[in-house]
Amino acid sequence: MKISFAKPDSDLEGALVLTVLEGRLLTATTRTVDSNSGGTVTRAIAASRFEGKKDQTLLILAPAGLAYAKLLLLGVGPAKALDAKLAQGLGGTVVSQLLTSNDATVTVAIDSIDGSALTPADFAANLGFGAKLRAYRFDRYRTKEKPEDKPSLKKLVLSVAEPGAAKKSFAPLAAIAEGVYLTRDLVSEPANVIYPESLAGRAQALTEHGIEVERLGEKHMRKLGMGALLGVGQGSERESQLVVMRWNGGHADKPPLAFIGKGVTFDSGGISIKPAGGMEDMKWDMGGAAVVIGLMRALALRKAPVNVVGVIGLVENMPSGSAQRPGDVVTTLSGQTVEVINTDAEGRLVLADVLWYTQDRFKPEFMIDLATLTGAVIIALGDQFAGLFSNDDTLSERLTAAGLAVGEPVWRLPLDDGYDKQIKSEIADMMNVGGREAGSITAAMFLKRFVKDCKWAHLDIAGVTWSKKDGSVTPKGATAFGVRLLERLVTDHYQAG
Amino acid sequence: MLTITYSRRAGPGALAIAAGSPAAQALLAQSDQPVFRDEPEQLLPILTPDGWRIVVGLGAPGGLSASVLRRIGGMLFARLAGGGIAHLQVDLALPSAQIAQLAYGMRLRAWRPAARYRQKADPEKIWHLNRVTLVCSTPKAVEACTVPLLQLASAVHLARDLAVAPANYLTPPAFVAALRDIEGVALELVDPARAGLALLQAVGQGSQYKPTLALLHWRGGAHQDAPVVLVGKGITFDTGGIDIKPRLNMHAMKGDMSGAAAVAGALQALAARRAPINAVGVLAIAENMPSGRALRPGDVIQGHAGLSVEVIDTDAEGRLVLADALSYAARRFHPSLMIDLATLTGAVEVTLGHHRAGLFTADDGLAASLVAAGEAEEEKLWRLPLTDRYDQAIASDVADLRNCTWERGPDALHAARFLQRFLPEGLAWAHLDIAGMSETDEDVPLGAAGPTGFGVRLLDRLLRDLFETAP
Repeated sequence: MKISFAKPDSDLEGALVLTVLEGRLLTATTRTVDSNSGGTVTRAIAASRFEGKKDQTLLILAPAGLAYAKLLLLGVGPAKALDAKLAQGLGGTVVSQLLTSNDATVTVAIDSIDGSALTPADFAANLGFGAKLRAYRFDRYRTKEKPEDKPSLKKLVLSVAEPGAAKKSFAPLAAIAEGVYLTRDLVSEPANVIYPESLAGRAQALTEHGIEVERLGEKHMRKLGMGALLGVGQGSERESQLVVMRWNGGHADKPPLAFIGKGVTFDSGGISIKPAGGMEDMKWDMGGAAVVIGLMRALALRKAPVNVVGVIGLVENMPSGSAQRPGDVVTTLSGQTVEVINTDAEGRLVLADVLWYTQDRFKPEFMIDLATLTGAVIIALGDQFAGLFSNDDTLSERLTAAGLAVGEPVWRLPLDDGYDKQIKSEIADMMNVGGREAGSITAAMFLKRFVKDCKWAHLDIAGVTWSKKDGSVTPKGATAFGVRLLERLVTDHYQAG
Repeated sequence: MLTITYSRRAGPGALAIAAGSPAAQALLAQSDQPVFRDEPEQLLPILTPDGWRIVVGLGAPGGLSASVLRRIGGMLFARLAGGGIAHLQVDLALPSAQIAQLAYGMRLRAWRPAARYRQKADPEKIWHLNRVTLVCSTPKAVEACTVPLLQLASAVHLARDLAVAPANYLTPPAFVAALRDIEGVALELVDPARAGLALLQAVGQGSQYKPTLALLHWRGGAHQDAPVVLVGKGITFDTGGIDIKPRLNMHAMKGDMSGAAAVAGALQALAARRAPINAVGVLAIAENMPSGRALRPGDVIQGHAGLSVEVIDTDAEGRLVLADALSYAARRFHPSLMIDLATLTGAVEVTLGHHRAGLFTADDGLAASLVAAGEAEEEKLWRLPLTDRYDQAIASDVADLRNCTWERGPDALHAARFLQRFLPEGLAWAHLDIAGMSETDEDVPLGAAGPTGFGVRLLDRLLRDLFETAP
């Protein structure tokens, strides 16, 4: 779907979307269309329950006296509530109503809304952004989709008085959408296509945007001493990988921001194998790594004035004759030893080495890791919040605020020392699991042992990475939760100038 | 029972002394004990010709917070209780308020299940220590600081006594009888059948004992002041009902009335110190049993608030009895503040484990006050989301609401939101899910393994902070 911005009345084909404020208040263009069509709009509203509430719609087919095939009335809600996030949601609503409606072109008439803080240009840009996010589909492997199920919408035109300003406002959002699309593609791909080396290859493709990419194979990691990460991958035929992505958009002397992702390309659980039901979901156990790749792309595409390093640990967790066993003790890069009680608590083993490597090598401003880490976080927070754990109050507050602003909310959970004794081991420095109680917290306490004096936040995204139902700007499937959140965090607090 | 007395000077016998005192230094110099670190919770008993001297580590004088002193007291009792000393004198040269906190810690720790559940005392667990004398220059001042704390400790002990009682001893009528013994509060019983508390009625209908809503009134404030209402879940035994629980550890379900026990303890504490506020304790008491007349999964019940509830899981019964209790109390008392405590969900244990209880409220100020009170009293809370984002999970196909979903998800959040739906808007309300905190399976400084009495000290502290601090 292509998104463009144009002056009003430049296009007359397809469907026209008109805005209506709560209380059936017609905006200027809507009023004009109404009078040009002999009161079609007001008559249709009067005959319906359409009130103009946010995301309410009313479809009018073949409107008399107009060239358009159909009109879609779009409820905006009260003017004062209209902000960027709400505008994005409206874009999502337009797409959900018209994606497969047989119209190749949809024009949305953007009017100036009195009482809203949003300019028409920003309104148009954000509506376009929401539409783009919602229009995502992963249909690479459908070979026989019926024509009526395929998207018809090819072109979304945002008709606005100042298309130049809207285009300018849209550019950074388009970059974020590119990042989100990449993340969703990587998460949606099956594990026979995306495995450590192929995922590293996808990350390497970011060099075309000016990102420096390094790949470390098993030999190199063994030399460094990454015993925890390598132990997880040793049951697989596929070679484990560590990928470092660097975007140097800031001053050379500024320490980078570090984003770290768990990339278990398939998690069978290993010898502590998972039950069969739902195991196919474990193709998205690399969601954290995919978010880091998508974020790097978004930042590079908009030439963000900031230094960022993305580090992802890529492994496949498989049972086999060479697999890690429950009870094995591994030595991490930090020198600390871990007794592997459960081979299915493998994400924290990978992250332990990647966290240590990142802070040692890059001395970053902060480290934020993302991981589909625990089932416990689904019992704690469900699919509406990611779990946030941090050793820094300011970073936590910033992440919380950014999450609310973009609609990817996080909720902070505690890291008290009292939880630490749950991961004490009889024979090593620690165990990799701490029991059923406080399962997400003990996982975070484990990671905390691999953080020195660096500001650090851990996002447990196990509940939010894959959605079973459509959301306002996220079709069901891979959400890319984290790309927009972290992009906003960087934009709001860490860019030069 | 540990008796606390006060004296100006020490007599012969066992004596606890501060590690930094000249007497202790002289003893440590002679002792063959290689190192003694003068830190809180370090103890060294030394037998001298004058009797036992217990060297007590206190660390730097600035580090002695109330919480550290309580821990030292708890440790002191735990270490010495079975050691042959019947009378311990404590002379640590501390200010009155500090020695009081230490004595408070000793008394909190000096609790165990009532002897009536045993034929013979366990010889491993005999306590010799039954009297502690606080030696100080101003016994009257120390006594004045200590007595209110000991009263509070008794209230915590009441909550533990109720929670530890086997469910054949503490049946619903026996629970009510125990409430009659609380001094200074007026007990009122509400018949669920007459008051329209159909949800409470339904949960109890499988049992041979009738459910009841017990109200404990304390009127220490002005006549016209709106009361504070404290609500507790009081399921004297929770089998799960027709959705019966797995048998492993089901005996622990005798503690499913710990929320109500904490409320009873809190009311006893308010009355004991004649708190200048009005308060009502609301205890939703029922037994959840499977039987030929028990509540069935799928049943629809219309409770006090008028909302109908489809019962998906008869083992999600706590939220049913609380819904009626909260609705009834909100509409009858128009409280200035309402807090409920309940051993409500397994999900909160998966979330927060055994270090913090889940706190749910829409009121940021109340959340901050509760969190602060919890930190001050070692009864820690962590706020979790109270949100309409999960309303789909408690939406029913046939009734206004359902009590839960079988889908794997944040049941503690669903339960909190379920409760909120039964309350009038704008009411200052908080819900504490104490399922992970009502019992401890290991000894802690202020209690042995078993029921903790969690909530009594937290509530007492909160109400003092909110209503009884001089402006």
